[in-house]
Amino acid sequence: MKLTKTVSLSFKILTAHKLRTFLCISSMAVGVAAVVVMVSMGRGVQKRIMDMIHDMGTNLIVVNAGHVTLVGGRERQSAIVTTLRPGDADAIMDHCASVAAVAPEASRKMNAQWESENLMTNIIGVTPAAFEIRNIEIEMGRNFDSVENDTAGRVAIVGSVIVENLFNGEDPVGHQVRIGLALFEVLGVMKAKGVDANGVDRDDRILIPLNTAMRRLMRITYIQKIHIQVASSEKLQRAETEIRQLLRERHRLRDKPDDFTVQNQATLIQTERESARILTLLVGSVAAISLLVGGIGILAVMLTACRERRKEIGLRRAVGARRRDIRTQFLFESLIIAILGGFFGAALGMLSSFLASLIGGWTVVESWDAIAGGLMLSTAVGLIFGIFPASKASALEPIEALRAE
Amino acid sequence: MFKTENIEKTYKKGSVSTQVLRGITLSVDKGEYVAIMGTSGTGKTTLMNILGCLDKPTSGKLELDGVDVSTLDDDALSALRNKKIGFVFQQFFLLERTTALDNVLLPFIYADSYPADAIERAKKALVSVGLEDRIKYLASELSGGQQQRVAIARALINDPDVILADEPTGNLDSKSTDEILEIFSRLNKEGRTIVVVTHDRAVAKYAQRILEFKEGHIEESV
Repeated sequence: MKLTKTVSLSFKILTAHKLRTFLCISSMAVGVAAVVVMVSMGRGVQKRIMDMIHDMGTNLIVVNAGHVTLVGGRERQSAIVTTLRPGDADAIMDHCASVAAVAPEASRKMNAQWESENLMTNIIGVTPAAFEIRNIEIEMGRNFDSVENDTAGRVAIVGSVIVENLFNGEDPVGHQVRIGLALFEVLGVMKAKGVDANGVDRDDRILIPLNTAMRRLMRITYIQKIHIQVASSEKLQRAETEIRQLLRERHRLRDKPDDFTVQNQATLIQTERESARILTLLVGSVAAISLLVGGIGILAVMLTACRERRKEIGLRRAVGARRRDIRTQFLFESLIIAILGGFFGAALGMLSSFLASLIGGWTVVESWDAIAGGLMLSTAVGLIFGIFPASKASALEPIEALRAE
Repeated sequence: MFKTENIEKTYKKGSVSTQVLRGITLSVDKGEYVAIMGTSGTGKTTLMNILGCLDKPTSGKLELDGVDVSTLDDDALSALRNKKIGFVFQQFFLLERTTALDNVLLPFIYADSYPADAIERAKKALVSVGLEDRIKYLASELSGGQQQRVAIARALINDPDVILADEPTGNLDSKSTDEILEIFSRLNKEGRTIVVVTHDRAVAKYAQRILEFKEGHIEESV
């Protein structure tokens, strides 16, 4: 029997039993669609986390004053530590060979006022280097320069939430905003960045020159953070060691524990990537189980068909079908169901992922490997669950089959 | 054509065994029209299934065109059924949700090669049994007589040496019965060997030779 004849014969039989075929294909399609959607969504979560990390800046090391721990995925600082100084940042820049740039930072939650509007927001003192290191882009106006930082100029860059809530959506550039007791001129507006990995809204903040923040506003001599950009990702580990050593020396810690915390972006990325990968694998496996259920559906239908169609099998044997012809035909029927189910499932999965991103606002990554995997898996399921009914059908003796009631 | 020597068939069910055929020796020559007669339960269908290589005898020998079929494997028997034998069954055995044409084409699917003019030949076979206006009908839409004529067209399609018919008119009215038997007579006149199994003397009388079943044995009657 020729292959094309077998395929067309199987198609004819499947179309003759429309409802049964439709239900069988649907169960396979749902399984494959589940695999595609789950993996795409898992990848979406992975991508969001990666985007968030990259938004922080590239090849980044963050030094925090004091002991900073992650509690429930959020940063928690145990106490105010005053040992981290702007001089530490300069020293890191001067003495650590693998470091490309540093951006010290001092921040405090303070009241900001414009006309009759008031709000509490994060006032963050930074050096101009921070804009590049931390991927902060200016949407309107300009950022401040090193002269304005050196002279402790009263200038500010505001986030989009500030524009919305303090300036009622008006263009704030050129306006005066009161922070604490001092008046600041708004130079520019930051491009919206959303919430970071620690749950902090990066648009609900006002950036001012570091010197202005320390001398005029907060009257402090210490800083809370230093963002450090390393020349390349390969040097992250080495830079971390150098920085730790340098800070321990400068803070004269000897056998005391660190009074600072160093966070390395590479470690962060690795941890996040691993957890996202496990998540994708987990949801993918759950979906694969539904594919297996679809396969059991095929098994049940084909076994019933094998029983129902005993007379047909007998007739085919009488007119010359060999055992392997019967086996091939049954196997092709389950394969066709599985492959069609696979294709419809892949299409359904892509459509659902698209709708999830369109309507639900989910980050979805089109996963061609999940689609290919789903198709291969469904074909394998069709083959595996088709073999048993097919060999059962082909094992029938022609005369037994013809005599069947 | 057919030559059997002392064929026996015993069915076993648990510890009970029933001997249906008790040493059948017969021969059918090419071009003959033979009726095998007997009341129901005498084993005539069993004999026809053995002649058609659908079943195997418990003992004895069957030769088809000089070949001992017991030496053939399952694939060779399938090929033999496909090329040399055309079956017509009492229950017609058509694929119900399939057209008359596709039913007739069925043996071609299992032939060594699918002929290029398959559809033409199938149509011709349907025309020869008077179904030219029912070619595209589903089997389930046809009357009993029409269904049996489709079955005959299917039996003829591969140009077999012999037509084996088991109670071919058992489910038909008298008008359809006459039509079917006319077709068999015509086919026989064209040189085809025909073996009909029946309990009905009226059907048997169309044949040139009648073999009568008696208690698992066969007797020639004129």
